[in-house]
Amino acid sequence: MKVFKKGRLEKILDKLSESAEVYVPMMRGAQSGFFDYKTYNPDFDELVLEALNVLRPPKEVVFPQTEKMYSFKQEGQDVIIDKVYEDENPRIIFGIRACDLKAIEYLDEVFLTCGYEDAFYKKRRENTVFIANACYTPGKNCFCESMGVNPVEPELADIVLREYSDEGYVWEVKTEKGENITRLISDLLEDKEVQLPELKKFVIKVDYDGVAEKLKGLFEHPMWDRLSEPCQTCGICTYICPTCHCFDIQVKAWGDEGYRFRCWDSCMYREYTQMAGGHNPRETAKERFRNRFLHKLEFFYERYGKPLCTGCGRCVFVCPSGVSIVKIIEEIKGA
Amino acid sequence: MHKCNCENPLVPEIVEVIDIIDETPDVKTFKVSKIGGGVPFDVMPGQLAMVSLVPVGEGMFSVSWQEDNDHLQFAIKRVGLMTDELHRIEVGQKLGVRGPYGNGFPVEACKGKNMLFIGGGIGLAPLRSFIKYCFKHREDYGKITIIYGSRSYADLCFKDELFDKWPKEKETEVYVTIDKPEEGWDGHVGFVPSYLEELNISPENTIAVTCGPPVMIKFVLEVLEKMGYTDDQVITTLEMRMKCGIGKCGRCNIGSEYICLDGPVFTLAQLKQLPPEW
Repeated sequence: MKVFKKGRLEKILDKLSESAEVYVPMMRGAQSGFFDYKTYNPDFDELVLEALNVLRPPKEVVFPQTEKMYSFKQEGQDVIIDKVYEDENPRIIFGIRACDLKAIEYLDEVFLTCGYEDAFYKKRRENTVFIANACYTPGKNCFCESMGVNPVEPELADIVLREYSDEGYVWEVKTEKGENITRLISDLLEDKEVQLPELKKFVIKVDYDGVAEKLKGLFEHPMWDRLSEPCQTCGICTYICPTCHCFDIQVKAWGDEGYRFRCWDSCMYREYTQMAGGHNPRETAKERFRNRFLHKLEFFYERYGKPLCTGCGRCVFVCPSGVSIVKIIEEIKGA
Repeated sequence: MHKCNCENPLVPEIVEVIDIIDETPDVKTFKVSKIGGGVPFDVMPGQLAMVSLVPVGEGMFSVSWQEDNDHLQFAIKRVGLMTDELHRIEVGQKLGVRGPYGNGFPVEACKGKNMLFIGGGIGLAPLRSFIKYCFKHREDYGKITIIYGSRSYADLCFKDELFDKWPKEKETEVYVTIDKPEEGWDGHVGFVPSYLEELNISPENTIAVTCGPPVMIKFVLEVLEKMGYTDDQVITTLEMRMKCGIGKCGRCNIGSEYICLDGPVFTLAQLKQLPPEW
């Protein structure tokens, strides 16, 4: 087996950063997320490869919170589009967990199938390498296993890291892309036979089986009044969700030039479906709440054959009102 | 059906406004063609396109007609920020346009049928593309009945077609109504659903196509059901807020259907399978 000692982590990241943007889990002040290693400042940041789930999911590497699409110039009545910003920079997500990688698989379904390929997403996606970090000890909010994710065998990974002990990580190459990356740092790896840990038991289990089918008949069920009652429609669940992909398209213009950009949007906001004429098909918090959970548990399943939730547990952890998708699935099962 | 020729489907093509027609105090028809002439893409009746006044905003509109390979027409009501600015532009203005989006009306499946079009306000814009398509292929369709209403005479769109051109077409009847009586109007007064009920157009071998404000559509659907139309004989075209047009940005869903991709045209049978969130 190829392994590397933890003391060599920064050397590996230094080397990989020479030819790509390397996104690594870090604590940055009160925030945790995947940040470009080039911006790593040991005085303020802490590398947290061992963290199970940083708060901000790495989806923003392939689908940034704000992304410039194209710029334009105008002169009188004339308009030209002078640049389309398709970003092909090589990127590495270092330490992505199986749940977040599963989420990338779902984003691929959204952005790359059903008739249209989203060119902005596609360019980023094609140039991103995934170095996954297998999970052996599920966290207290983790339920990925219940949502069909195998935490020790992250799918789509080009390389899988496995923490075999406090000493270091196994470096397991999965794809050709992974082999190419490995060549860059092979002198930092060593051969060693190690014993891998066993996957520990999940604290949270939930049974999603049959939920999508059952939801077909529950649109008007009174439980939605009760379940949505605590929701403040703050939208934080949608921002920290690794699978939420809704976006807005907006324009920034000054003088005779400007650019159009897209940015994350949230189905929890009234403006999301507010039409110019005043009509809003999802006017109330309850309607928006219901649509969010039906999208995750029923609509996405109908369209793509899988739920739009990977069991990462972030929304359960951050919701200021204690809304839990786990409890909602249980309510649906019991309804 | 969802194939798009452009390399990046979210980047518009620049087109030129070649003519602007005042339809009502708050509706204008914009005719656009590629710079140098021709349509930016072919559109089937009922399909959509994203139109942008580039520095201001983008909005999804039904294409109210494609005039051969010459130009596209959009009848656009002034209702918000972007359409307000759009109503101030003049001929020669360059716009962005991308599309076509959506499924469009089932023009083939309707061949050999009598057609009943029921429109309200700006809802006539999408129907117009199908109505004009039927006239263009007149032999393919049976009797054509058009029922249309607006708040007032001034608010009726496409007046010269409504009062002059369409009634002269073969086997065609046009019924127009306005909401409230007004001086100089000796036509029908009342809302579209009740006028429809009054006219009681036979469902026999007929397809009804309706578009208007959501509340009008809901009542029209009830009346059609009462008149004996089956769910497969009723077609409507819906509107939701849209941003991408290609089924990615999320917001135009009704249940698991995206209006931009799977719609905007649905039969009543299909609509009944979806949550009533429109």
